[in-house]
Amino acid sequence: MAGTCFCFDLDGTVTRAELLPMIASEINLEQEMSLLTRLTMDGLIPFEDSFRLRFAILRSAGLERIRSVVAEVELDPDIAAFIADNRDRCFIVTGNLDVWVEPLMQKLGCTFYTSTSQMSANGDVQLKHIMRKNVPGLELKERFDRVVAVGDGYNDLPLFDVADVGVAYNGVHASPDALISVADYVTMNGKGLCRLLSTL
Amino acid sequence: MSIVEHAVVAAAGLGSRLGHGKPKCLVEFGGVSVLAHIMSLLKDVPDVRVVVGFMEAAVIAELQRVRPDAIVVRNPSFRTTTTLHSYALGAQHLTGDCLFMDADLLIVPETFHTFLEGCRPGEARLALTASKTKDAVYAELDGEAVTGFRRENPTAFEWSNISWLPVKYFTDIGMTAVYEHLRRYLPMTSGEVVSFEIDTAEDLAQAKENAQLFGLAAT
Repeated sequence: MAGTCFCFDLDGTVTRAELLPMIASEINLEQEMSLLTRLTMDGLIPFEDSFRLRFAILRSAGLERIRSVVAEVELDPDIAAFIADNRDRCFIVTGNLDVWVEPLMQKLGCTFYTSTSQMSANGDVQLKHIMRKNVPGLELKERFDRVVAVGDGYNDLPLFDVADVGVAYNGVHASPDALISVADYVTMNGKGLCRLLSTL
Repeated sequence: MSIVEHAVVAAAGLGSRLGHGKPKCLVEFGGVSVLAHIMSLLKDVPDVRVVVGFMEAAVIAELQRVRPDAIVVRNPSFRTTTTLHSYALGAQHLTGDCLFMDADLLIVPETFHTFLEGCRPGEARLALTASKTKDAVYAELDGEAVTGFRRENPTAFEWSNISWLPVKYFTDIGMTAVYEHLRRYLPMTSGEVVSFEIDTAEDLAQAKENAQLFGLAAT
């Protein structure tokens, strides 16, 4: 396949709120989660370690409860519409877990690359593989002439590194300087982002 | 209404000749930044792209406040390139015609809108202003057509650093000033605006004397 494809981060880019803190607030672990989020955002804990810890905190909420929170999250209407119009060349590339974000796979209807889980014999969700975003980025580069990456966090750096065009997204919170320093563009809401994407 | 769909605003420079230690577009007039003024002038242009470099975080923060649907284009090599490079980066991926302007301008709004309304598809057009700045690029005119640029021997009008140009003019650029690059496309039609550039302390003082002209209270 030729042409341009678009890789979107999920939390705080396509969704108008970060999903993990939303789940944490359901089980009254907001403070613990926000400390961990801050340490991760400040680059003090690598994303993979942070995600393992966050997974350990949040799994106690139970799969159904997590999915019901995820299903309720508000999507950016402009970005969701862009994805709907370009389903075969839009991809979600997220560190979030496959079984947790499943409700959004159905809503958005495009292919997701996620961290993966497996069910243990007693029905527990266990972490199988944590997403490294350069892997799907390189895979998509084989299929498309050009890869455009859109994201807002440190864990988007490996994707920006392999993408042809990087767009830092400040629509929900400011992207870290490290991400902006490797970006070609910065956009500040879904309208501006989609106007840019429609010209790429 | 004008036909202008795209605007590229160059806001990457150091502003060292003004020497305020911040980008010129963040200089304030009565609490209104020059960038807020420019964004207010461009409020009816759907696609606005602002090229940033020096102190980009501060420029992005101001832009987020005044025009959150603007597209920020990064020029990481702002220290070693000219505005021409910023224009080329800003117009990358666009087609057709685009308004190009600098972000260190104060403009009388009515004259700016009249200029935009006079823009036609495929017809390159320069905005001129009465000569006044210290480091002017003077326009040589034949009627309304600009036939040449010069730095010495002042003429009645200088180029205001506002232009309506086909994007393709920027596909092949060198390390020159914008007006030098545009010479190859002369003659071009022109229209007059009342604008003040704030390149130097003298320019800024002159603009401040005329601050009541720029509709800043409405920004």
